Amino acid sequence: MSGDANAGADTTATGPDETATVRVDSLGKTYASDRRTVEALSDVEFAVEDGEFVCIVGPSGCGKTTLFRIIAGLEDATSGAVTLDGSPVTGPGTDRGMVFQEYGLFPWRTVAENVAFGLEEQGVEEPARSERVTEMLELVGLDGFADAYPKELSGGMKQRVGIARALAVDPELLLMDEPFGAVDAQTRDMLHGELLDIWAETDKTVLFVTHDVEEAVTLADRVVVMAANPGRVREIVSVDIDRPRERTESEFAEYVERIRGLIGE
Amino acid sequence: MSNDEVGSGVALSETDADERLLDRLAGFSSEQTGLAVAGFAGFLAVWYVAALFQPTYLLPSPVEVLAAFVVELTAPASLSIPFTGAELPATRLVVKLIQSLYHYVPGLLIGTSLGVFAGVAMGWNTRVDSVFTPVTRLLRPIPPLAWIGFAVIWLGVNHQGATFIVAIGSFWINFYSAYGGVEGVSEDLKEVAATLGVDDDWTMIRKVVLPAASPSIMTGIRTSIGQCWMIVVAAELIVGVGVGYEILNTAQNLAMDVSVAYMLVISIVFLVSDGLFRRVERRALEWRA
Repeated sequence: MSGDANAGADTTATGPDETATVRVDSLGKTYASDRRTVEALSDVEFAVEDGEFVCIVGPSGCGKTTLFRIIAGLEDATSGAVTLDGSPVTGPGTDRGMVFQEYGLFPWRTVAENVAFGLEEQGVEEPARSERVTEMLELVGLDGFADAYPKELSGGMKQRVGIARALAVDPELLLMDEPFGAVDAQTRDMLHGELLDIWAETDKTVLFVTHDVEEAVTLADRVVVMAANPGRVREIVSVDIDRPRERTESEFAEYVERIRGLIGE
Repeated sequence: MSNDEVGSGVALSETDADERLLDRLAGFSSEQTGLAVAGFAGFLAVWYVAALFQPTYLLPSPVEVLAAFVVELTAPASLSIPFTGAELPATRLVVKLIQSLYHYVPGLLIGTSLGVFAGVAMGWNTRVDSVFTPVTRLLRPIPPLAWIGFAVIWLGVNHQGATFIVAIGSFWINFYSAYGGVEGVSEDLKEVAATLGVDDDWTMIRKVVLPAASPSIMTGIRTSIGQCWMIVVAAELIVGVGVGYEILNTAQNLAMDVSVAYMLVISIVFLVSDGLFRRVERRALEWRA
């Protein structure tokens, strides 16, 4: 856990003069049906710096999942653009590793085979592929479970496989959509610690969508607070607390309260 | 780290639950086995007693059927190998069974392959689906045996004719199971694959759609393995070869004990092929929850 504080310090020290890894530029998304149009996102604008950990929080219906899907390339924006290291996102790609709430593991593949999926697509040959898989499983603490099928794993373990699989192809950005929403509270706390460790170890940029304000304050360098109808950015809050962060600290509670206030308005 | 312990703890308790379930199933199944044996013995007893008061041509007794079965199983006959003209020594029952297999196996393979192919193509591609849906809706309700006239005219009163009928039967079963399986593949898994670098249809079908649809496809194959034995018998009544024809032929000579013995052959072959496929299926779908 000691690595987190350093990593956090690094990213805050490098500051915004570095090239932005992700830039979301006046992004809009409108769903049109026969009768009416719904503005899911309106003029969303923010940037995530190289190596930064950013959380997106907001009430349900604020378009955070739509935003996530547009950044992932799974949906098109109606207006504006998302760029990754300067090049526009036009579809899904291995430069963005995705972690989904429902894990999205291939049930017919073992843990190791799930992690190997993206590597196979990239044409990574044996033995390099197996070495990379082993390395990833060690990173998420699942070394003993390489040959298990997803059905044999608990929710927390499944999501570790999801993270290992996303990281295996060495993406520039780790995109996570409420990844710990389906696991119990204790496991979630543990996974937070692990995720921060992994982040420190791999230097990835992380964009993490959640509706849980405490989760966002626990993890993020900065929190993008969204509002609904239409989905838009209300405020971006920098969380300046050293890691590991304790929920019992008064500073922590102040951030949570402030963000809750922004959402509740 | 402590999470490993928690992780393996979860796995351990799941294994315990599995074992308890197995214990329960084992206890349950010994009682069930007893009931099954009693039920079967009762069936044989009723059959035996009923047959005591009837001539064999009206109702052969189980003993007579068994005797006829043994005779058919051992009576020498020669098996002609197609295309080579060679004759191999065999027994009557084996010859009839192999005659049936000559059109059962190719019919099943052809019908299954085409059915799975068509089902996957239509389940995957909405345009292909739109083009062919009216035709499939129109042709689907026609029973395979209705095609027997065409089978005879196009292919003749022979193995090919019966193969054609069997193929039609297995085609529809596999078409619908593959179609449903492919339609039911979760969008999430396809999106996951896309984010992991799958960017063409063929790779998506091969690495995601087919494995995800495989339980449904396997069920279709297993259903057609059974259904095709029913179709084989019916087709053979007309085409005049194999076990199915022998059931009718012997009955026409009032040798009902032999006829029932050949019915028994169908049952046994079905049970064996179904059992074998179940094992294959269980192994292939080991990953399923």
